[in-house]
Amino acid sequence: MLLTTRNTSSLVIDSLCDQEGKGDTIVTGLYCDFQIQQEQTAANIMGAILKQLVGRGDIPEYLRHAFQAGKRNFGGRRPRLLDVTEMLRNTIASLPQVFICLDALDECLPKHLPDLLASLRDILRESPKTRIFLTGRPHVTEDIQRYLPKAVVIPISPNTDDIRDYLEMRLDKDSEPDAMNDDLRADILRIILARTSDMCVGVSLISALSVIFTYHGYT
Amino acid sequence: MAQNTHTLSVNMGDGNLHSGNITSSFNSYVYKTDEDAEIMRWLSPLDPSNRHQGVSTERLDGVGNWLLETNEFREWRNSEGAADNVILFCSGNPGVGKTYLR
Repeated sequence: MLLTTRNTSSLVIDSLCDQEGKGDTIVTGLYCDFQIQQEQTAANIMGAILKQLVGRGDIPEYLRHAFQAGKRNFGGRRPRLLDVTEMLRNTIASLPQVFICLDALDECLPKHLPDLLASLRDILRESPKTRIFLTGRPHVTEDIQRYLPKAVVIPISPNTDDIRDYLEMRLDKDSEPDAMNDDLRADILRIILARTSDMCVGVSLISALSVIFTYHGYT
Repeated sequence: MAQNTHTLSVNMGDGNLHSGNITSSFNSYVYKTDEDAEIMRWLSPLDPSNRHQGVSTERLDGVGNWLLETNEFREWRNSEGAADNVILFCSGNPGVGKTYLR
């Protein structure tokens, strides 16, 4: 698979989990997914982060109390964002350093995003040593900068090496190796890489692929 | 139903004074009691661990490593305490490879 923001998130998460030589850190995160948008409220997303922090050991008493109180009232009331943020703020403040990685913010419903970003802002205010990693389509940049003006923006797109690695992997896994030969393989790499060097990869890449495959009578 | 796959602490670098404990919360955890599992579900129905496994397994080795080498990323990861660079936002398409090249 090519370099995408989703892959970038997994790469960053794995690299944070693997790193050594740094103080005690805890890596948490969530991949947003438009298929479960309704469930992805700011409270549930931040709740999932808190779950990852408290689930490592015994459940803290404050959380048990909040749960029991919630259960008593209103036929079992779910935690509100305010409560979750408060619990998360206190928990993070008591830990050495927490990394929060949230992938694909654009896949949250737009009405949930401001709440989520405000909650992250509140946590940073309380625990400035927290590190936050976010990904999303470019159109959420404005929202992010409104709540988190210091966010450093890095545009992600596959570079030529990424595309070459990807193509070679796909060619190696070709289900009809008899239809392939060295010349064809070289042609595919050469033409696609030449085309992708000056165009936006994505839909364009698939059209380049189909041109080549059609040309060679290869599917 | 104490089988809620969610969190667990993994301590890496034990026994080495120079390497800290990096704790990943992307692993499975079995809760001690049913109430513990219920509390976790109450806190959030979302369960990120499986998703990470899936995405991580599909990732091609080496792809994207350039990001880890950028100054922005290094400063973000390595800076101590309060710093200017505490939030990274990677903007782009979430599924170029997956959506268009399968």
